Amino acid sequence: MGRFIVRRVLQMGFVMFAVSLLTFFIFNVIPNGDPAVRMAGRQPTETQIEAIRKEWGFNDNIFVQYFTMMKKVFTGDLVSYFTQLPVGDEIVKGLPRTLSLAIGAALLWMFVAICFGLYSAMRAGKFADRFLTIIALIGISMPVFWIGALMNYYLGYKAGLFPNGGYVEFSKDPIDWAYHLILPWTALAILFIGFYSRVLRSNVLDTINEDYVRTARAKGLTERQIMVRHVLRNSLIPIVTLWGLDFGAVVGGGAILTETVFDLQGVGQYAADAVGQLDVPPVLATTLFAAFFIVLLNAVVDIVYAYLDPRIRLQ
Amino acid sequence: MATEPATETTLQGPAAWEAEAEREHVHGLGPWKLGLRRLRRNKIALLFGFLFILLVAACIAAPLWADKVAKTTANANHLSDTITVDGKEKNVVGLDGVPVGPQWWKADGKFFLGADRNGRDIMVRLLYGGRNSLEIGVVAAVITTILSIILGLVAGYFRGPADVVIRALLDVMWSFPVIILGVALGVALALGGLKLGPIKLAGDSLAIPIFIIGLVYVPYMARPVRGQVLSLREKEFVEAARAQGAGPIRIMFTEVLPNLASTMIVFFTLLIANAILLEAALSFLGAGVQPPSPSWGTMIDEGVDRIATAPHLAVVPGVMLVLTVLSLNVFGDGVRDALDPRAKVRLER
Amino acid sequence: MAMLGRRALVLLVACLSMFVIGACGGDDDDGATGGGGGKEGGSVTMAETSQPDYMDPALSYTVNGWEPLSTVYTGLIAYKRSEGQEGSELIPGLAEDLPKVSKGGTVYQLTLREGLKYSDGSPVKASDFEHTIQRVLNLESGGSAFFLGIKGAEDYVKKGNAEADIPGIESDDKAGTITITLNGPDGTFSNVLAMPFAALVPGDTPFKNMTKDPPPGVGQFKVTESVPNRQFVLEKNKFFPDIPDDPPAHLDKITALIVKNPQKQAQDVISGKLDYMQDPPPADIKPEVKAKYSDRYQELTTASTYYFFMNTRVPPFDDPKVREAVNWGIDKPGLARIFAGETTPGCSFLPPGMPGFDEDIDVKDCPFGDPNKPPDLEKARQMIKDAGVAGMDVTVWSNNDDPSDKVGEAYADMLSKMGFNAKPKILDGGVYFQTIGNQKTKAQTGFANWFQDFPHPKNFMFLVDGASIQPTNNQNYGNVDDPEITKGIAELNKEPKITPEVADKWKDLNDKLVERAWIAPYGHRKLATFFSERMDFDNCARFHPVWNNDYTSWCLK
Repeated sequence: MGRFIVRRVLQMGFVMFAVSLLTFFIFNVIPNGDPAVRMAGRQPTETQIEAIRKEWGFNDNIFVQYFTMMKKVFTGDLVSYFTQLPVGDEIVKGLPRTLSLAIGAALLWMFVAICFGLYSAMRAGKFADRFLTIIALIGISMPVFWIGALMNYYLGYKAGLFPNGGYVEFSKDPIDWAYHLILPWTALAILFIGFYSRVLRSNVLDTINEDYVRTARAKGLTERQIMVRHVLRNSLIPIVTLWGLDFGAVVGGGAILTETVFDLQGVGQYAADAVGQLDVPPVLATTLFAAFFIVLLNAVVDIVYAYLDPRIRLQ
Repeated sequence: MATEPATETTLQGPAAWEAEAEREHVHGLGPWKLGLRRLRRNKIALLFGFLFILLVAACIAAPLWADKVAKTTANANHLSDTITVDGKEKNVVGLDGVPVGPQWWKADGKFFLGADRNGRDIMVRLLYGGRNSLEIGVVAAVITTILSIILGLVAGYFRGPADVVIRALLDVMWSFPVIILGVALGVALALGGLKLGPIKLAGDSLAIPIFIIGLVYVPYMARPVRGQVLSLREKEFVEAARAQGAGPIRIMFTEVLPNLASTMIVFFTLLIANAILLEAALSFLGAGVQPPSPSWGTMIDEGVDRIATAPHLAVVPGVMLVLTVLSLNVFGDGVRDALDPRAKVRLER
Repeated sequence: MAMLGRRALVLLVACLSMFVIGACGGDDDDGATGGGGGKEGGSVTMAETSQPDYMDPALSYTVNGWEPLSTVYTGLIAYKRSEGQEGSELIPGLAEDLPKVSKGGTVYQLTLREGLKYSDGSPVKASDFEHTIQRVLNLESGGSAFFLGIKGAEDYVKKGNAEADIPGIESDDKAGTITITLNGPDGTFSNVLAMPFAALVPGDTPFKNMTKDPPPGVGQFKVTESVPNRQFVLEKNKFFPDIPDDPPAHLDKITALIVKNPQKQAQDVISGKLDYMQDPPPADIKPEVKAKYSDRYQELTTASTYYFFMNTRVPPFDDPKVREAVNWGIDKPGLARIFAGETTPGCSFLPPGMPGFDEDIDVKDCPFGDPNKPPDLEKARQMIKDAGVAGMDVTVWSNNDDPSDKVGEAYADMLSKMGFNAKPKILDGGVYFQTIGNQKTKAQTGFANWFQDFPHPKNFMFLVDGASIQPTNNQNYGNVDDPEITKGIAELNKEPKITPEVADKWKDLNDKLVERAWIAPYGHRKLATFFSERMDFDNCARFHPVWNNDYTSWCLK
């Protein structure tokens, strides 16, 4: 087990390194405009541009630039080319917002998906099942920024039922914090509810037909006891795995669109703004941040699985 | 539960069983034919499949609509023009920049679904945009499928160092935040185009979003393919082929690949659906299809700012996109149900 | 870029591409005067769509930076705080008098007022001026270009040593004198001294971006809090001296929040949660604002010009007849619609409010037809056909900052209607200008605009000056090189003051530029002031031609 964990952690490190290389490569090899000229402002002169190049090390060869930038990432000195503000500060400020969005949405979608999926499975083949399936499929088919923008306008601005975007710190006012997040949570969750309810439904249906369920029924357990103790528990395991992976992916990138639409100013929105301007330091930092989450949750899921699997645990 | 009701056991012989089989029309059909039958019985899936074909046909017919009905093109601006509705003149784009909403047939089909901020006909752009979105979706799905099959086969069949390398590659791709990668590549390439040796692509070529989206989904499909190849590899018929002296390439193509087929087909429809959604997301962030070419994503992008004064700009392309993706999803679902013998309940009438 | 927050960057980038704005549009009424009326004191909350580029006077080069910073920092020379043309008048700021210019316009002498103190109480010294300029040059500020004309400035930058002396600036702290020597006469230098770049900061201000902790200055307000991307706070500065025509502020405190969503800002101003929003209300909400809240909303034409450049070194625009045809054929009122009515169609290159602006040629006597009427497409088409370039491929360049991309698409369509085969090419806002400014790109035609940095015609005319053509970072995107105009610009720039005669000569150059169709202007941008109910809109809402909305004039009802 210990060896397994060590191996996974090493793997994590390798992936992060590869991601950082790839990001840097994309920005420096593909023609994308000279950042020194951009930083020089509207009336750049050659002297100014040269001075900028010298100060920021743009004249160094690409490996030196890579190492300098990576060093800055670890020492927290990374500064945006264009706003001159430290990237680390921005990410730290945006982190609670992104996490609030992701965790809230994840809990919401799991809860609703379990209810829908279970209900669907129990009424399998009947109208309720087919109706819920169509609803789920509609959910999977909607672009989150579209439904988010529409909800924000019609429910937020027009009907005034919800605030029109923005974020309130939890420490300032927990109720207002939740109030501002209801629409974003819903928008983000719609997509996943659709997917997870269907996976759960099919897992439940598979499990119901397993032998041990029939045995349990023969033993005289009530339907409810069977559902909860055997069926649900076993159907949930693959779901939880997927959930871990998707949550990582949401923090890693899916949240970008939702944050942009609802103006939550989390890490995702920061990344989107920076990428549009080809501002390399924040993009590098946010990409590593996102990749880290994905990789971390992947590893956690793997390790938990390995723990549950006695073959690996006993190694 | 819906298992087959047990047939009555009688003491009749094989002849009776034959007769019974005749009655039930189960002549030992192969899995494909069986699948097709099940699909045919799934009315809802067929309905949505038909809807998808209808939408595709409408987009293919874009030039017809543009020439005969709307009498304009996808990029022609009508900023200062007017249309006559109920005898009155209406500005296509108002002085305050607000474009006119859906006219339906009131102006002889011109601006059927309204105009956009440049005075262009939304219906025409919707159909031409659909062509772009669908083209991107399908071709990207094809690229993903081909790459996934190659990588999955090589990794799953040969294992060893090839597997390790491919798995590492997939891990990295999987961990890369999709949107950031897509936007970064899209923005960077839109600027200068792509020059890879002999291949030269202009910045606004559709090949760029196609390439990005196709690449992004590879890990999602390559992993299950690899998993399946791993298990198929151990099956008896593969052993048998190997014993007969067939080389690995031959085995991959004649034994393994066909068995992957049903997985691939199901994945393919879902890939198209997801590719269309990803294209919309990239275009929304400015990294997908480049102006002035329309796509459903760019149209939604243009509309999101003007929901208050011109909601049709965002609603129309969004609804079209949802319908298309939904029909693919429902149909793909039906195909999966039909081909998967373990599926317990289907959407049947 | 939208990107991202892109959508919310819509109006932000409109602001970012502006530098300083001038008021004075002929048609708009002056609803608000400066000073008088309303009560003293009170505090106000405003919102901006994005953080000012820098909260450091040496670095900031955008409108949403200069609006607040012009109330916190004052230079040796300042502008009269009045509306309209009066506001463009230079007055002594921290100096006792306007500079004594000698030796053919190359030496400027000023004497500091006595007893000046910064907002932290420390005394202002004459040597602080050199330090201020050193910061601008050493930090590679966007404003460096304005100061490279000082003797020794180029060397200073090349050497890179922050503490090195700039030979062209000499000061005597005891006498309070400052002497600046230029390499050559520059008629704009007094205006340059009035820019926030040259506003004095203490001699010990570090050589780094002080956005998070702005240095003390001499201004009506001081910055008491600066949290980038969240908010900054201005509070009344009790050390602000008595400067004629530069009165103290009324309010005690202004809190500026960064709210990325302009819709939200507008809603909040309507409901009173906010008192002011820096950007105009978004196009979606504007109809409602204009209809219901016109008593606290006004639109003013700024000193800006939106135009299409036409590269005279690249076919088909090397043919003057083709350039004329374009001017005949572009749909100026149509383009105004893309701006949701926020531009005033016009044909003059020098904008309203700028000395040398020609009211007649702008509308009434426009050589290419009334800019408020549809274009003469037939004539344009015929001219293009006659020139033999019909059907030619033309790439129209623009950037993706709203609505520049829509403008690019519309312009391409207009060129196609004229007979070309035109296609737009939209680049990201951040790389656009450097791309079209690179001769290698051979950009044929595309989007361009300019907002005045200060009310001196050279600030606009350098864009069409043959002498400013460069191989890279070229701002004369069309490579306009009319010998008569180039010579005229060089001569007029030697004039230390803009007298009515000098202004007329600039007007003449403007007319020639327009008549000869070197560029294709189509309008001037309008900006807005939108207040909440509690602000005194009628008496305390000064719109300054250089600083835009003047916070020092604000007061509550």
